[in-house]
Amino acid sequence: MSVPQARVSSVAERWERERVLALAPDAPSQRTAQSLASGRAWPATGAGAGALWGECRGSAAAPYRAVVDLSGPAYRCSCPSRKFPCKHVLALLLLWAEGVVPDDATGPPGWAAGWLTTRTGRPGRAPSGRSGEPAEPRDPKAAARRAEQREARVASGLAELDRWLCDQARQGLAASQQAGYGHWDDIAARMIDAQASGLAERLRALASVPHSGAGWDGRLLEEYALLHLLAVAYRRQDGLPPPLRDTVRSRIGFSLRQADVLAGILPNGQPVRDHWLVLARRDLEQDRIRARRTWLRGRTTGRDALLLSFAAAGQPLDDSLTVGTDTDADLVFYPGAVPLRAVVLAQHDASDDGRDGGPPHGGPVAGLLAGYAAALAADPWLDSWPAVLQVTPARAPAPAVCDADGDALPLHPGAGDCWPLFALSGGRPVTLAGEWTPRGLWPLTAWDEGGRAVAL
Amino acid sequence: MSAWQDLVTASLIGTERTGVPGTGVPGLPGPASAVPASTGPESPGPDDPAALLLDRAALLTVARRGGRPAGPAEPPPAAEPDPAPAVSPEAGRRLARMLGGEHPDLLAEWLAAAVARDRRAPAHLLPALLDRARRVSPSDPGLRRLAAEAGGSRARWLAGLNPDWTFVTAHARAGQDAWRLGGKSQRRGYLAALRARDPGAARELVIQSWEAAAGPERVMFLSVMASAGLSPADEPLLEAALDERDAEVRGWAAHLLARLPGSALGQRMAQRALDCIRVESGARGARLVVIPPARSDAAMRRDGVTSGQGGRLQERDTRTHLLHEVLARTPLGTWTDRFGRTAEQVLALRSGPWAPVLFTGWSRAAMAQRDQEWMTALIDWALAGGPTGTLFGAETLRQLARRVDPARCARETASRGAEIPLPIRDAISVLRFRYDMLKELEL
Repeated sequence: MSVPQARVSSVAERWERERVLALAPDAPSQRTAQSLASGRAWPATGAGAGALWGECRGSAAAPYRAVVDLSGPAYRCSCPSRKFPCKHVLALLLLWAEGVVPDDATGPPGWAAGWLTTRTGRPGRAPSGRSGEPAEPRDPKAAARRAEQREARVASGLAELDRWLCDQARQGLAASQQAGYGHWDDIAARMIDAQASGLAERLRALASVPHSGAGWDGRLLEEYALLHLLAVAYRRQDGLPPPLRDTVRSRIGFSLRQADVLAGILPNGQPVRDHWLVLARRDLEQDRIRARRTWLRGRTTGRDALLLSFAAAGQPLDDSLTVGTDTDADLVFYPGAVPLRAVVLAQHDASDDGRDGGPPHGGPVAGLLAGYAAALAADPWLDSWPAVLQVTPARAPAPAVCDADGDALPLHPGAGDCWPLFALSGGRPVTLAGEWTPRGLWPLTAWDEGGRAVAL
Repeated sequence: MSAWQDLVTASLIGTERTGVPGTGVPGLPGPASAVPASTGPESPGPDDPAALLLDRAALLTVARRGGRPAGPAEPPPAAEPDPAPAVSPEAGRRLARMLGGEHPDLLAEWLAAAVARDRRAPAHLLPALLDRARRVSPSDPGLRRLAAEAGGSRARWLAGLNPDWTFVTAHARAGQDAWRLGGKSQRRGYLAALRARDPGAARELVIQSWEAAAGPERVMFLSVMASAGLSPADEPLLEAALDERDAEVRGWAAHLLARLPGSALGQRMAQRALDCIRVESGARGARLVVIPPARSDAAMRRDGVTSGQGGRLQERDTRTHLLHEVLARTPLGTWTDRFGRTAEQVLALRSGPWAPVLFTGWSRAAMAQRDQEWMTALIDWALAGGPTGTLFGAETLRQLARRVDPARCARETASRGAEIPLPIRDAISVLRFRYDMLKELEL
């Protein structure tokens, strides 16, 4: 190749451009960061000792000062942006990825060194992806006592929640439209105190329902009713079949240790080996925590699996599985009435990994609805179900997908215009993977004429 | 399901003011009859009407979710198949990166290269591409046409679904009617398409329409001629346009003539330029002696050399500006012929403080005349640390890096770490990007 290359050595191994862009909180940040990085706004940058720093000239008189601790990674910038990491930090990382941030043996300037020093003084942080993971129990007796205490706390928390829900139903939901976020935040905070974090998340999400357009009252009632059902189910958990009891407890927020799941000590915890096709991926941002849902389907078993990974805002999410590729792996499923959530125990034959195995078999709408109905009968709280369909997108009477039998499903209102899906189909059937939810289908991946997966 | 609506209504009012309606779901266990309003007991239990309402709502919620029927929908008629193949997956990924913000200014080049190879942009990227073309169109009218062509039949199909993208079909539909009856942009679109297809026919159309056209439309004619297919056959029309009354028309004509190295205007410029620059041999080897023109005259103004009032050129003195303008319009062959040196050798001659003016003037000439040999030599000069220290030099390097054939830039810049100035870093990154981009489009 006869193109000029700038070779700049660097102490830390430089990141790929994609890895930097994956840290961006949203697409506009990615765009502005890229234009900042190609602009002429960086009078001074430097790298050394696992850190980057740079001054970026903006509209303000004083330049913005961005610092990155690559070991975290952790960021700091003097700009007022509330996005995290901000565009200046991203642009600085992009410049570094391009290899144009010079190594500076003299070390960071004072303004960067101060912050970096306070960071190195800090104790090691838990690696990303494991936050919220219960610690290894050391003393079995103490652990049993703690579990008992927690059980009691959850029980009283759920009783309180059920009283609150009944109060809402008694006083009427009409007032909810005038209620502020505090209305739900307060009860959510009490669920945190009661160590029922699953409920707290669900409650906090309810604050936006009264402003979600027509039909909000029905949606709020649905959510209250299902929470009430959860509270009742917990109260009667001793009479439930064990898988349903596991489902109830996990939805409340009792999390299993991943190590226990992997150890196969749980009932039905035997690993399932298959060539798993990575169907789709969806990232959710909640409260400075990023969650990534990766849907898999076994080529041989036909089983669906859901992998969850988490990262703090500004931290990279697990990127090891690429949509549209196959991976030969052992998966262990978490126990539950409808076992979907799984964790990878082992990957086999790495040379075979990542091969593009072609599109999955897309089924009809009727099959999806029947499958979801059967799953709901086992887990009534299930509101996200993997869909793999052979459908043609339609815009009339409302955005939808339609199969060969003329059966149609609406697209989720939150999924936007879905123009890439329409463009890809050109009015012909496509294989489409997504999440089926009570509000509609959230399209995530489609396969083009060449059988290649396209993330939507 | 009206039983659900009844429950929703009751929940809005509250069980202290209204009764709990029955679920009315046949085959479901549990109480289904209505219960009258009551203030209820203080703690929730099976007897609390509020709890009963929630019980029934839970039952119905799950029943409704599980029993949801499929709806009707009318998919649009399918798009015509496109005979042209899509670009390689690598090229598609690069297009996605550009639409995502990486080197967005190179988008037109990607599209033009794809169109020239008769390849199509990946279908799923068309919405983002058409949105971009729609947004930037005032500053870059050519992008709409390129986007429409690179989108092929799928883009026309999409334009039928989204009114934002009708410009796609406006260009595709452009027939004779678009020229005779169409508005400004349709006429422009028709002429541009004709010029791209058959430059001679477009020229004839311009000649026929010239007399009837007003100044702004003549400017449009010339700007379309500038966009593609410029050749010596255009010279008579352009030379005549130098005597137009409208200054903007004259400016465009001079600009186009300067791009034709063999034109009479080019020869007049060469004469002026050679009066200004000569090679002198001295004890320390050959060097360039530069004497800028004393003043501009009517003949120079007719040839488009402005005296440089206003704008960004104010900081230069008039004579330097005149030299720069003359250099930019002088056929580059003038220098290689007269001095008996290659472009690279001409650039290697010492020129002292004049180097920055020569660099920008020659660069403008090389870009206007699309002279790859000179562009390559100039960018090599710049990347080797040539005269890019001024604002003009940096901007000129920026433009050169976007026009030179990246495959010809053989120079490896030495690893200079911190000292690589920003304009050079930018030029290197652009060259590498364009090199890979054009290679992927060949796959």
